[in-house]
Amino acid sequence: MSAWGGGAGRQRGPRDRLFLAAVFVLLFWAVVYPNLVVLAGSLRGDAGLTTRHYAAFFGTASELRALWSSVWISALTVMFSALIGVPLALLFARYEFPGRRLLGALAAMPVLLPPLVGVIAILFLYGESGIATRLVQDFLGLESPPWRLHGAGAILAVHAYSMYVYFYLFTLAGLARLDPAVFEAAASLGAGRIRTFGRVTLPLLTPTLAGASLLTFMTSMASFSAPYVLGGGFRVMTTQIFNSKLQGEMGMAMVETVMLAAVSLMVLWPLSRWEGSREYVSPGKGAAPQRLPVKSRWAAVGVPAAAGFGVFLLILPHLTLLLVSLVPDGSWTVQTLPPRYSLENYAQLFSELRTFRPIVNSLLMASAATFIAVAFALAVGQLVVRWRVPGRRLLEAMLAVPWALPGTVLAVALATTFSVSQPWAGRFVLVGTAWILVMAYALRVLPLTGRAVLAGYRQLDPSFEEAAASLGAGRWRTLRRVTIPALLPAIAAGASLAFVTGLGEFVASIVLYTHRTRPISIEILAQLRDFDLGAAAAYGVLLMVLVAGAFTLAQRWIQGERAKAS
Amino acid sequence: MGAFLELDRLTRVFAGSPAVRELSLAVGEHEIVTLLGPSGCGKTTTLRMVAGFEIPDSGRVVLDGRDVTRVPPQKRGFGMVFQHYALFPHMSVRANVAFGLETVGLSRVEIERRAARALELVRLPGTGDRSIGSLSGGQQQRVALARALAPEPQVLLLDEPLSNLDATLREQTRRELRALVKEIGITTIYVTHDQEEAFDLSDRIAVMREGRLEQSGPAEDLYHRPATEFVATFLGRAGAVEGLVGEVHDDGLISCRLAEGVIWKAQAARGSELAEAGMKLRLLARPEALAFARPGSDGALRGTVRETRFAGSVYLYTVTVGHGELEVQAVAEQARPGDLVGVVPSSAPAGLFAFPAGAERQTG
Ligand SMILES: Nc1ncnc2c1ncn2[C@@H]1O[C@H](COP(=O)(O)OP(=O)(O)OP(=O)(O)O)[C@@H](O)[C@H]1O
Ligand SMILES: [Mg+2]
Repeated sequence: MSAWGGGAGRQRGPRDRLFLAAVFVLLFWAVVYPNLVVLAGSLRGDAGLTTRHYAAFFGTASELRALWSSVWISALTVMFSALIGVPLALLFARYEFPGRRLLGALAAMPVLLPPLVGVIAILFLYGESGIATRLVQDFLGLESPPWRLHGAGAILAVHAYSMYVYFYLFTLAGLARLDPAVFEAAASLGAGRIRTFGRVTLPLLTPTLAGASLLTFMTSMASFSAPYVLGGGFRVMTTQIFNSKLQGEMGMAMVETVMLAAVSLMVLWPLSRWEGSREYVSPGKGAAPQRLPVKSRWAAVGVPAAAGFGVFLLILPHLTLLLVSLVPDGSWTVQTLPPRYSLENYAQLFSELRTFRPIVNSLLMASAATFIAVAFALAVGQLVVRWRVPGRRLLEAMLAVPWALPGTVLAVALATTFSVSQPWAGRFVLVGTAWILVMAYALRVLPLTGRAVLAGYRQLDPSFEEAAASLGAGRWRTLRRVTIPALLPAIAAGASLAFVTGLGEFVASIVLYTHRTRPISIEILAQLRDFDLGAAAAYGVLLMVLVAGAFTLAQRWIQGERAKAS
Repeated sequence: MGAFLELDRLTRVFAGSPAVRELSLAVGEHEIVTLLGPSGCGKTTTLRMVAGFEIPDSGRVVLDGRDVTRVPPQKRGFGMVFQHYALFPHMSVRANVAFGLETVGLSRVEIERRAARALELVRLPGTGDRSIGSLSGGQQQRVALARALAPEPQVLLLDEPLSNLDATLREQTRRELRALVKEIGITTIYVTHDQEEAFDLSDRIAVMREGRLEQSGPAEDLYHRPATEFVATFLGRAGAVEGLVGEVHDDGLISCRLAEGVIWKAQAARGSELAEAGMKLRLLARPEALAFARPGSDGALRGTVRETRFAGSVYLYTVTVGHGELEVQAVAEQARPGDLVGVVPSSAPAGLFAFPAGAERQTG
């Protein structure tokens, strides 16, 4: 084997090889193997190999329609999300007006809502007996609700609402990376605003927009909560898989799983190559980005007002959730707005073991998953970036694989693989334990956490570690005393993402939970089924607060570390 | 030369602190004027007001008799070269250069032709298809210049365009830049904090300090007849000693009493109020205007050599005298640190400037 580079050019001993092998095998076992089991399962009949399930899939119009629905819903989600997120980002990044900072921060609020919570918040607001629905109905004096939150349109609306944030945040970050002088250069060459936007701003943002499109498309393909709660008869691939599994049609469920993964991968490959192909980073930044003051008197009032109203609409679901959580059980029937408010629901949440249990479950499982994901990300970072081991591209690719696999696919793969005991084949019975949920959560967040930690690794100056080595620090001491502390901001970013995702996870949970291991999201669903809206909303608010807390803590901490470093 | 471009009492205040204060400057047609000053003195802000990126809080920008203060940059028709060039990274070299030509309503062929000509002008013919990222720093700088010049603007504005090049390239480029700008004959404002660059490039230099114009004029004027102590020390080297006015002469010269029996003739600062004998003054002296003499000899100021430096062709000595410190330039090694020496002017009153004492603090 050729010498491994990097890391102060040290020789790698047998222990290092063992470490590499262990990471490799574990990743393969957790990430790739379950998918292979599903692939094999989709081809297995009662009597050996068969294409019977595939034939059934392609022979059923409703199956093909569901697949096609997944694709077009996702494409439209990308479009609508971009139409909301990009203009918002441009508004807040390029113009100066009163309230810009506050409104700009509020515009990212939908990230605080885990998918299922977002769906129910919107349900409380615009559903058949939602607050906005009732207000409009009363105002217009209608017999029946003015609209129905139902089917493809409803799914699209919820998707656009929860995913425009990707475009918003990506575009803000993309603009921050550009040298603001290029816009001035365009102006000095006679280009007006529209021409500057079309010829300069937009082309420079294409890699950024490709990245946001990719993320939005994959998230939408994987989306389960919105179609599950709002779809009604309208089926997409994720709900299809869930139903097949529920009805015990495992062969069909596996074919559907394979098809959804295949289509997702088909989109992922070309788009991700395009994303990586061009990246425009400004050479040494000039002045801080100049924000244009809003000039005319009309715009000076209109722009903040419009921005304020837009942002108000965006945080209306949060407010609704809060409102509903304060409504005592059974007190709100036909009135437009709830007649009574109390903290009853919250008190109940924490006073009964039955209602408190999901909170503990979610916190524990999300923490465990975060720990595992960060550990794997660090191990892969060390191997790929520092030691530059052979096969590093494969290792890195394995970290990213779960990204292409919707949560439902992952859950089905895990449920299938770990429902039998075949220790010689690396299969154990994990179904029914909390570990399978932890594993699902960890795998789901592995791509994002891995990305954050690897980016941190790549920014590390290698001479850091060389300096430690020259001072006589051994490899593990260097890792513990120098590398990991320097990586803390990246770890905080990756860990907060992992924790937050695990906390609100619903898609994989609904396939894998038992009564004992049920997380908050499943409990929310149960409360909704019991028509205890207040309790469901209280759980929702609790999640929202926990998510906000995790993000704020991580952010504070990252900024603190940065301040210390500079 | 009549003023083609006039900056009339420009003022710009950022968050309560003025970046540019009451700055007036007239630039003649075809003239190259350099804004020179230390970092943060308001050069870029001034240039951006001329370009239209900043609206002055008060004052006007007048082009050829027309007030353009509020004309937006895209309608102003001024070419600008940015410090980091601000080339469009997603476009080829040709597309960058053609960008400003497309709004004018020219035919495709004409645009091509003019873009090619602009690239020839900056000696980069045949690079049209290259991508921006594949060019060296110097080449990028020239593309930025070609892009600014292609639409044939009335005024060219450059903000430290050479600061990203290495020293050798910078020196070569600034000669070429001057030759090119003179050949085209375009009215130019050039911003830099590098005095050598200003000397090499400009017809006239405007020295700025803390948002104000200190003095403007040809380089020789500023060097040989600085209006303020700041200009005297910012352009070239100068040591300073304190003294008293001995006698005020009609021809603008002043006899300065620096010590018992030591009286040097110096130029009175322009418009200074050093009118009466006995007033306190500060005498600034260029190193090349001083020479060593035997201590105690006639008119020699006594001092101690504090430091000697070899500066290539000459030696520079820092000499501590009674109320100040002077620098003396000599061609051969004449003294060592600690030596007791006498200092005399070698070609008075050239290189000797008398300023009212305390004036330094008033302007600050
Ligand atoms: N947009 C702005 N907002 C607030 N203050 C500003 C802004 N632009 C410039 N300033 C301040 O105005 C002063 C002058 O800045 P300017 O950029 O014009 O200086 P400069 O002479 O170009 O300096 P340098 O040589 O460092 O480029 C500085 O104190 C700067 O901090
Ligand atoms: Mg500047």
